[in-house]
Amino acid sequence: MTLARWWQRNSQRVALNSMLLPYLIGLALLVIGPGLAGFALSLTDYNAIQSPSWARLENFRRLPHDQIFRIAVFNSLLYIVLAVPLRLIGALALAKLLQRPRRSSMVVRAIVYLPTVIPDLAWALIWLWILNPLYGPLNQLLELVGIDGLAWMVDPSTARIGIVLMMVWQLGEGFIVCLAALGSVDPDLPDQAAIDGGGTWSTFRGIILPTIAPVLLILVFRDTIFSFQANFVPALILGKGGGPDYATMYLPMYIYTTAFGYLRFGYAASMTVAMYAITGIILLLQYRLTHRWHDGFGRHE
Amino acid sequence: MTGSGDMSRRRGRSGLWFFVLILVCAVFLLPLYWTVVTALRETGRPLPRHIEWFPSPAIWGNFRTVFEVVDAGRFALNSLVIASVAVPATIVFASLAGFAMSQLPHRYRVRLVAVSALCLMVPLTAIWIPRFLLFKEAGLMNRRVALMVPSLMGTSPFFVLIFLWAFSTVPKEVYDAARLDGAGAYRIWAGIGLPQAKAAIGTVGVLAFVHYWNSFVEPLLLMRTSDKFTASLGLRTLYSLDGTNWPIIMAGSLLTIVPVVTVFVLAQRAFLRDLRNMDRRVG
Repeated sequence: MTLARWWQRNSQRVALNSMLLPYLIGLALLVIGPGLAGFALSLTDYNAIQSPSWARLENFRRLPHDQIFRIAVFNSLLYIVLAVPLRLIGALALAKLLQRPRRSSMVVRAIVYLPTVIPDLAWALIWLWILNPLYGPLNQLLELVGIDGLAWMVDPSTARIGIVLMMVWQLGEGFIVCLAALGSVDPDLPDQAAIDGGGTWSTFRGIILPTIAPVLLILVFRDTIFSFQANFVPALILGKGGGPDYATMYLPMYIYTTAFGYLRFGYAASMTVAMYAITGIILLLQYRLTHRWHDGFGRHE
Repeated sequence: MTGSGDMSRRRGRSGLWFFVLILVCAVFLLPLYWTVVTALRETGRPLPRHIEWFPSPAIWGNFRTVFEVVDAGRFALNSLVIASVAVPATIVFASLAGFAMSQLPHRYRVRLVAVSALCLMVPLTAIWIPRFLLFKEAGLMNRRVALMVPSLMGTSPFFVLIFLWAFSTVPKEVYDAARLDGAGAYRIWAGIGLPQAKAAIGTVGVLAFVHYWNSFVEPLLLMRTSDKFTASLGLRTLYSLDGTNWPIIMAGSLLTIVPVVTVFVLAQRAFLRDLRNMDRRVG
């Protein structure tokens, strides 16, 4: 009797919770659990054959003396400094260009998004071909307009540029978010500014940009985090495992090599912990920087 | 300012606008175009020293060669099987979770959205190793089922959030009326929620298909024997067999690209429009 009444009162709630259950269990088992397990693993020596042995902070003590790890951190930071702003500016500029919902701009929107849906591996192989210094179409196109081709993936400095370049094409996600953000700006705001005598650029800088700044900040955060997984396949294929001369040895590539090549899971896990820390610091810096920038706007007005 | 002067200026601007549009299209289509040109090139001929805009002669047999060199049919079938299980499962479980979140009291919803957003912030690189060890312990190594498992949680918190937004647009009274009629939560989800969330189903369906078809790192870590390889993993095998035979490598790449691009082109209208409207719905 009481059970029946309890059920009558709570059946809705029980059903809703049961709908959530697969999602929450999945998050716990596949995302949160592994995320935390990485911390525990980083304190061990583990080769996935023998049982793990306690190593305390030995892995972390070793990290700063690991030449390749230091190179990987440097490369990852350089990649973020180059790729994140380029991808953001590109996405924002294209969104601004294609903001008006005309028929033609709808087609172009789809074309802009197209490279983003191409499988990472195929995209990497395509760019390995495009950037081929002798036979690749990009150098041949440059030659056509009288520019000497670059060595691309053969030379460490141009290899870094090559990887950033191929990632700029896959900016579809940021592009969509920028379109949505621009669409949400009150259409009267820019009109008001135009009446007040502001030019297109000053309206964009003074009115639209501050309005969508929070969205752009989230986009920068997301892209920074994403960069710690996005450059793995390019490094694997175009860099043939982090080359030339470790120029594309990014953190994901080194973590992969250490764990699945040398079976040093504990040591590799300590690098992922370092990666969390580095990500945290960058996000904090970006947040502080944009805050100052935003305040600057406030004082301007 | 005379009327005709204004008009010609406007025409000049729109001419410039079209020129820029065409330039953007060219820049974004060029990599794919070069892929097609190279994929159709004769394999025996020395590689070009000057830019080639058209393959002459166009060798369509290169695609057949891909199937002869590697078991491409098998790879494609594996990816198709995985996607055809994982995509519907993703839609079911992501929409269930999104629906429940839309119906729960506000304070729970806020917490669940926060947890979802936080989980979206975890770089996949950081969970490769623990996930690999977990799947190994669970006996899922070299089993295609392992690649479908994430669909049981809706694949990505992002998909759950898309459904939450979609279900939140339905007025609360509609749900309440159904509840007063005695409909249970599952009945309301299937009968009222899902029909209202067609655009979200389409969006998540496309994104999930792209995710599972394109997936490379997970099968790279979990699949061992080539009979379990997915399309992307198979493409890597093709590349490792002869890394200089560019026409064949590009033909193989095109074969992995065609299914996703087809799905995307068929669905892009609904997809791009839906994502664009998303933030207005949240607000």
